[in-house]
Amino acid sequence: MPTIVIASPKGGAGKSTTAIVLATELAHAGARVTLLDCDPNRSLSLWAGRAAVPHRIEVLSDIGEAEIVRTIKRHDQDGQIVIVDLEGVASRLVSRAISQADLVITPMRATTLDATVGVRALQLIQEEEEALDRRIPHAVVFTMTKAIRSKQHSGIEASLRDQGVALLEPPLMERAAFSALFEFGGDLRNMPPQGNMDAAIRNAEDFARAVYARMTEDA
Amino acid sequence: MTSKPFSVDLGRLRSREKDHSAAAVERAERAGEELGFVDRAPGRRRGRKPSPRTGQVHAKVLPHVATEIAGEARRRGVQQGVILEEAWALYKAAEEAEK
Repeated sequence: MPTIVIASPKGGAGKSTTAIVLATELAHAGARVTLLDCDPNRSLSLWAGRAAVPHRIEVLSDIGEAEIVRTIKRHDQDGQIVIVDLEGVASRLVSRAISQADLVITPMRATTLDATVGVRALQLIQEEEEALDRRIPHAVVFTMTKAIRSKQHSGIEASLRDQGVALLEPPLMERAAFSALFEFGGDLRNMPPQGNMDAAIRNAEDFARAVYARMTEDA
Repeated sequence: MTSKPFSVDLGRLRSREKDHSAAAVERAERAGEELGFVDRAPGRRRGRKPSPRTGQVHAKVLPHVATEIAGEARRRGVQQGVILEEAWALYKAAEEAEK
Protein backbone atom coordinates (compact mmCIF):
# COMPACT_ATOMS: atom_id res chain seq x y z
CA MET A 1 0.00 0.00 0.00
CA PRO A 2 1.21 3.52 -0.61
CA THR A 3 3.57 5.40 1.65
CA ILE A 4 2.81 9.09 1.88
CA VAL A 5 5.60 11.23 3.27
CA ILE A 6 4.75 14.69 4.61
CA ALA A 7 7.94 16.68 4.20
CA SER A 8 9.10 20.25 4.50
CA PRO A 9 12.26 21.52 6.16
CA LYS A 10 10.25 24.53 7.35
CA GLY A 11 8.85 24.25 10.87
CA GLY A 12 5.26 25.37 11.43
CA ALA A 13 4.21 24.68 7.84
CA GLY A 14 1.35 22.41 8.97
CA LYS A 15 2.93 18.98 8.46
CA SER A 16 1.41 17.31 11.53
CA THR A 17 -2.00 18.85 10.96
CA THR A 18 -1.91 17.69 7.34
CA ALA A 19 -0.89 14.18 8.45
CA ILE A 20 -3.71 13.91 10.99
CA VAL A 21 -6.39 15.41 8.74
CA LEU A 22 -5.38 13.06 5.94
CA ALA A 23 -5.12 9.97 8.17
CA THR A 24 -8.47 10.52 9.87
CA GLU A 25 -10.29 11.20 6.59
CA LEU A 26 -8.76 8.19 4.82
CA ALA A 27 -9.61 6.00 7.83
CA HIS A 28 -13.15 7.37 7.85
CA ALA A 29 -13.37 6.41 4.17
CA GLY A 30 -12.41 2.81 4.94
CA ALA A 31 -8.61 2.68 4.77
CA ARG A 32 -6.32 1.29 7.46
CA VAL A 33 -3.66 3.89 8.20
CA THR A 34 -0.35 3.65 10.01
CA LEU A 35 0.98 7.02 11.15
CA LEU A 36 4.71 7.23 11.77
CA ASP A 37 5.68 10.02 14.15
CA CYS A 38 9.25 10.94 13.19
CA ASP A 39 9.15 14.42 14.69
CA PRO A 40 11.10 14.88 17.97
CA ASN A 41 8.31 17.28 19.00
CA ARG A 42 6.01 14.21 18.99
CA SER A 43 3.00 16.13 17.68
CA LEU A 44 1.23 12.99 16.44
CA SER A 45 1.86 11.21 19.72
CA LEU A 46 0.44 14.21 21.57
CA TRP A 47 -2.68 14.03 19.40
CA ALA A 48 -2.92 10.25 19.93
CA GLY A 49 -2.74 10.72 23.70
CA ARG A 50 -5.62 13.20 23.88
CA ALA A 51 -8.39 10.70 23.12
CA ALA A 52 -8.95 7.24 21.71
CA VAL A 53 -7.19 6.94 18.36
CA PRO A 54 -9.87 6.68 15.66
CA HIS A 55 -10.81 3.26 14.29
CA ARG A 56 -8.42 1.86 11.65
CA ILE A 57 -5.53 4.17 12.68
CA GLU A 58 -2.33 3.05 14.37
CA VAL A 59 0.32 5.53 15.57
CA LEU A 60 3.97 4.53 15.91
CA SER A 61 6.06 7.04 17.87
CA ASP A 62 9.73 7.94 18.04
CA ILE A 63 10.72 6.58 14.65
CA GLY A 64 14.25 7.81 14.04
CA GLU A 65 16.82 7.74 11.31
CA ALA A 66 17.91 4.20 12.18
CA GLU A 67 14.39 2.73 12.03
CA ILE A 68 12.63 4.68 9.30
CA VAL A 69 13.43 2.51 6.27
CA ARG A 70 12.69 -0.83 7.89
CA THR A 71 9.54 0.50 9.59
CA ILE A 72 8.15 1.76 6.29
CA LYS A 73 9.11 -1.50 4.61
CA ARG A 74 7.35 -3.54 7.30
CA HIS A 75 4.09 -1.60 7.04
CA ASP A 76 4.23 -1.03 3.29
CA GLN A 77 3.24 -4.62 2.67
CA ASP A 78 0.34 -5.39 4.95
CA GLY A 79 -2.59 -3.59 3.39
CA GLN A 80 -2.24 -0.24 5.10
CA ILE A 81 -1.58 3.29 3.98
CA VAL A 82 1.54 4.59 5.71
CA ILE A 83 1.71 8.30 6.47
CA VAL A 84 5.07 9.63 7.66
CA ASP A 85 5.17 12.90 9.60
CA LEU A 86 8.69 14.31 9.53
CA GLU A 87 10.53 16.89 11.59
CA GLY A 88 10.73 20.43 10.24
CA VAL A 89 14.46 20.43 9.55
CA ALA A 90 16.74 19.45 6.69
CA SER A 91 17.97 16.10 7.97
CA ARG A 92 19.11 12.72 6.74
CA LEU A 93 15.90 11.28 8.18
CA VAL A 94 13.99 13.30 5.58
CA SER A 95 16.20 11.95 2.75
CA ARG A 96 15.68 8.38 3.93
CA ALA A 97 11.90 8.72 4.23
CA ILE A 98 11.55 10.30 0.78
CA SER A 99 13.56 7.44 -0.73
CA GLN A 100 10.73 5.11 0.34
CA ALA A 101 7.78 7.34 -0.64
CA ASP A 102 5.01 6.68 -3.15
CA LEU A 103 3.84 10.25 -2.73
CA VAL A 104 5.47 13.23 -1.03
CA ILE A 105 3.23 16.05 0.15
CA THR A 106 4.87 19.37 1.03
CA PRO A 107 2.60 21.56 3.15
CA MET A 108 3.33 25.23 2.69
CA ARG A 109 1.79 28.38 4.07
CA ALA A 110 1.28 30.95 1.36
CA THR A 111 4.17 33.11 2.47
CA THR A 112 7.47 33.85 0.76
CA LEU A 113 9.44 32.37 3.67
CA ASP A 114 7.50 29.07 3.63
CA ALA A 115 7.77 28.86 -0.14
CA THR A 116 11.51 29.58 -0.15
CA VAL A 117 12.29 26.99 2.51
CA GLY A 118 9.65 24.50 1.31
CA VAL A 119 11.12 24.46 -2.18
CA ARG A 120 14.20 22.76 -0.71
CA ALA A 121 12.06 19.64 -0.20
CA LEU A 122 11.11 19.74 -3.88
CA GLN A 123 14.78 20.06 -4.85
CA LEU A 124 15.61 17.08 -2.64
CA ILE A 125 12.90 14.99 -4.32
CA GLN A 126 14.32 15.83 -7.74
CA GLU A 127 17.82 14.86 -6.65
CA GLU A 128 16.58 11.60 -5.15
CA GLU A 129 14.61 10.76 -8.29
CA GLU A 130 17.86 11.04 -10.20
CA ALA A 131 19.88 9.10 -7.62
CA LEU A 132 17.31 6.30 -7.35
CA ASP A 133 16.29 6.30 -11.00
CA ARG A 134 12.58 6.31 -10.24
CA ARG A 135 9.82 8.89 -10.26
CA ILE A 136 8.71 10.08 -6.82
CA PRO A 137 5.25 11.66 -7.20
CA HIS A 138 4.96 14.82 -5.15
CA ALA A 139 2.65 17.77 -4.64
CA VAL A 140 2.38 20.92 -2.58
CA VAL A 141 -0.64 21.75 -0.44
CA PHE A 142 -1.17 25.26 0.83
CA THR A 143 -2.07 25.32 4.52
CA MET A 144 -3.68 27.84 6.86
CA THR A 145 -5.10 29.71 3.89
CA LYS A 146 -7.68 32.47 4.31
CA ALA A 147 -11.05 32.80 2.58
CA ILE A 148 -9.75 35.86 0.75
CA ARG A 149 -6.64 34.97 -1.22
CA SER A 150 -3.69 37.35 -0.83
CA LYS A 151 -1.60 38.60 -3.74
CA GLN A 152 1.36 36.81 -2.19
CA HIS A 153 -0.58 33.54 -2.25
CA SER A 154 -1.55 33.99 -5.91
CA GLY A 155 2.03 34.91 -6.83
CA ILE A 156 3.55 31.88 -5.08
CA GLU A 157 0.95 29.59 -6.62
CA ALA A 158 1.62 30.94 -10.12
CA SER A 159 5.36 30.56 -9.62
CA LEU A 160 5.03 26.93 -8.50
CA ARG A 161 2.72 26.11 -11.41
CA ASP A 162 5.20 27.71 -13.83
CA GLN A 163 7.86 25.38 -12.46
CA GLY A 164 5.62 22.38 -13.05
CA VAL A 165 4.94 21.72 -9.37
CA ALA A 166 1.66 19.90 -8.74
CA LEU A 167 -0.69 21.61 -6.29
CA LEU A 168 -3.28 19.74 -4.27
CA GLU A 169 -6.71 21.34 -4.34
CA PRO A 170 -8.38 22.34 -2.14
CA PRO A 171 -5.83 23.90 0.22
CA LEU A 172 -6.25 23.29 3.93
CA MET A 173 -7.78 26.48 5.24
CA GLU A 174 -7.06 28.06 8.59
CA ARG A 175 -9.77 26.51 10.74
CA ALA A 176 -10.29 26.31 14.48
CA ALA A 177 -11.29 22.66 14.11
CA PHE A 178 -7.93 21.71 12.59
CA SER A 179 -5.98 23.31 15.47
CA ALA A 180 -8.38 21.77 17.96
CA LEU A 181 -7.39 18.26 16.85
CA PHE A 182 -4.37 18.67 19.14
CA GLU A 183 -6.59 19.73 22.02
CA PHE A 184 -9.28 17.06 21.78
CA GLY A 185 -7.60 14.25 19.81
CA GLY A 186 -9.76 11.94 17.70
CA ASP A 187 -11.17 13.23 14.43
CA LEU A 188 -13.23 16.16 13.19
CA ARG A 189 -16.48 14.24 13.47
CA ASN A 190 -16.12 13.50 17.16
CA MET A 191 -14.87 16.76 18.62
CA PRO A 192 -16.97 19.45 20.30
CA PRO A 193 -18.03 22.04 17.69
CA GLN A 194 -15.24 24.45 16.75
CA GLY A 195 -16.34 27.17 14.37
CA ASN A 196 -17.94 26.00 11.14
CA MET A 197 -17.56 22.22 11.56
CA ASP A 198 -19.37 21.31 8.35
CA ALA A 199 -17.00 23.47 6.32
CA ALA A 200 -13.97 22.03 8.13
CA ILE A 201 -15.09 18.45 7.50
CA ARG A 202 -15.85 19.24 3.84
CA ASN A 203 -12.42 20.85 3.44
CA ALA A 204 -10.68 17.85 5.05
CA GLU A 205 -12.66 15.32 3.04
CA ASP A 206 -12.08 17.09 -0.27
CA PHE A 207 -8.37 17.30 0.49
CA ALA A 208 -8.25 13.56 1.25
CA ARG A 209 -10.15 12.88 -1.99
CA ALA A 210 -7.53 14.87 -3.92
CA VAL A 211 -4.72 12.87 -2.30
CA TYR A 212 -6.54 9.61 -2.99
CA ALA A 213 -7.01 10.62 -6.65
CA ARG A 214 -3.30 11.33 -6.94
CA MET A 215 -2.40 8.00 -5.33
CA THR A 216 -4.62 6.05 -7.69
CA GLU A 217 -4.02 7.93 -10.94
CA ASP A 218 -1.05 5.76 -11.95
CA ALA A 219 -2.29 2.55 -10.34
CA MET B 1 -17.01 19.29 -3.56
CA THR B 2 -19.07 16.23 -4.32
CA SER B 3 -22.13 14.81 -2.56
CA LYS B 4 -21.08 11.18 -3.02
CA PRO B 5 -19.62 9.81 0.23
CA PHE B 6 -15.86 9.44 0.08
CA SER B 7 -14.87 5.80 0.09
CA VAL B 8 -11.43 4.27 -0.38
CA ASP B 9 -11.10 1.26 -2.68
CA LEU B 10 -8.10 -0.53 -1.17
CA GLY B 11 -7.69 -2.58 -4.34
CA ARG B 12 -6.79 0.56 -6.27
CA LEU B 13 -4.05 1.60 -3.88
CA ARG B 14 -0.80 0.10 -4.98
CA SER B 15 2.68 0.54 -3.61
CA ARG B 16 5.31 1.16 -6.25
CA GLU B 17 8.40 -0.98 -6.46
CA LYS B 18 11.03 0.59 -4.22
CA ASP B 19 14.62 -0.23 -3.54
CA HIS B 20 15.09 -0.74 0.21
CA SER B 21 18.74 -1.74 -0.09
CA ALA B 22 21.46 -0.01 1.90
CA ALA B 23 23.10 1.07 -1.36
CA ALA B 24 19.91 2.81 -2.56
CA VAL B 25 19.39 4.53 0.77
CA GLU B 26 23.00 5.69 0.69
CA ARG B 27 22.53 7.15 -2.80
CA ALA B 28 19.49 9.06 -1.52
CA GLU B 29 21.47 10.30 1.48
CA ARG B 30 24.31 11.54 -0.68
CA ALA B 31 21.84 13.44 -2.84
CA GLY B 32 20.39 14.98 0.31
CA GLU B 33 23.72 15.90 1.86
CA GLU B 34 24.56 18.11 -1.10
CA LEU B 35 21.41 20.10 -0.34
CA GLY B 36 22.09 20.34 3.39
CA PHE B 37 19.95 17.36 4.49
CA VAL B 38 22.56 15.97 6.86
CA ASP B 39 22.71 13.75 9.93
CA ARG B 40 21.04 15.61 12.79
CA ALA B 41 20.36 12.64 15.03
CA PRO B 42 21.57 13.17 18.61
CA GLY B 43 25.12 11.84 18.96
CA ARG B 44 25.58 8.61 20.84
CA ARG B 45 27.59 8.73 24.05
CA ARG B 46 31.03 7.32 23.57
CA GLY B 47 32.91 5.07 25.96
CA ARG B 48 31.91 2.53 28.54
CA LYS B 49 28.34 2.68 29.81
CA PRO B 50 27.78 3.21 33.55
CA SER B 51 26.96 0.14 35.61
CA PRO B 52 23.17 -0.44 35.79
CA ARG B 53 23.67 -1.48 39.46
CA THR B 54 25.66 1.51 40.74
CA GLY B 55 25.42 4.09 37.95
CA GLN B 56 29.23 4.32 38.04
CA VAL B 57 31.85 3.52 35.43
CA HIS B 58 33.97 0.71 36.84
CA ALA B 59 37.19 1.59 38.63
CA LYS B 60 40.34 0.93 36.63
CA VAL B 61 42.81 -1.68 37.85
CA LEU B 62 45.85 -3.32 36.27
CA PRO B 63 44.97 -5.82 33.51
CA HIS B 64 45.96 -8.99 35.41
CA VAL B 65 43.90 -7.86 38.46
CA ALA B 66 40.94 -7.07 36.18
CA THR B 67 41.13 -10.57 34.69
CA GLU B 68 41.20 -12.18 38.14
CA ILE B 69 38.29 -10.07 39.46
CA ALA B 70 36.26 -10.81 36.33
CA GLY B 71 36.96 -14.54 36.67
CA GLU B 72 35.93 -14.60 40.33
CA ALA B 73 32.78 -12.58 39.66
CA ARG B 74 31.84 -14.93 36.82
CA ARG B 75 32.48 -18.00 39.02
CA ARG B 76 30.23 -16.65 41.80
CA GLY B 77 27.64 -15.17 39.44
CA VAL B 78 27.91 -11.66 40.84
CA GLN B 79 28.87 -8.27 39.45
CA GLN B 80 32.56 -7.33 39.69
CA GLY B 81 31.60 -4.43 41.95
CA VAL B 82 30.49 -6.91 44.61
CA ILE B 83 34.04 -8.32 44.78
CA LEU B 84 35.46 -4.80 45.11
CA GLU B 85 32.94 -3.95 47.85
CA GLU B 86 33.90 -7.05 49.78
CA ALA B 87 37.59 -6.21 49.39
CA TRP B 88 36.89 -2.70 50.65
CA ALA B 89 34.99 -4.10 53.64
CA LEU B 90 37.99 -6.35 54.46
CA TYR B 91 40.34 -3.37 54.16
CA LYS B 92 38.22 -1.27 56.51
CA ALA B 93 37.96 -4.16 58.99
CA ALA B 94 41.77 -4.52 58.95
CA GLU B 95 42.14 -0.77 59.51
CA GLU B 96 39.76 -0.94 62.48
CA ALA B 97 41.67 -3.91 63.93
CA GLU B 98 44.92 -1.98 63.82
CA LYS B 99 43.53 0.93 65.83
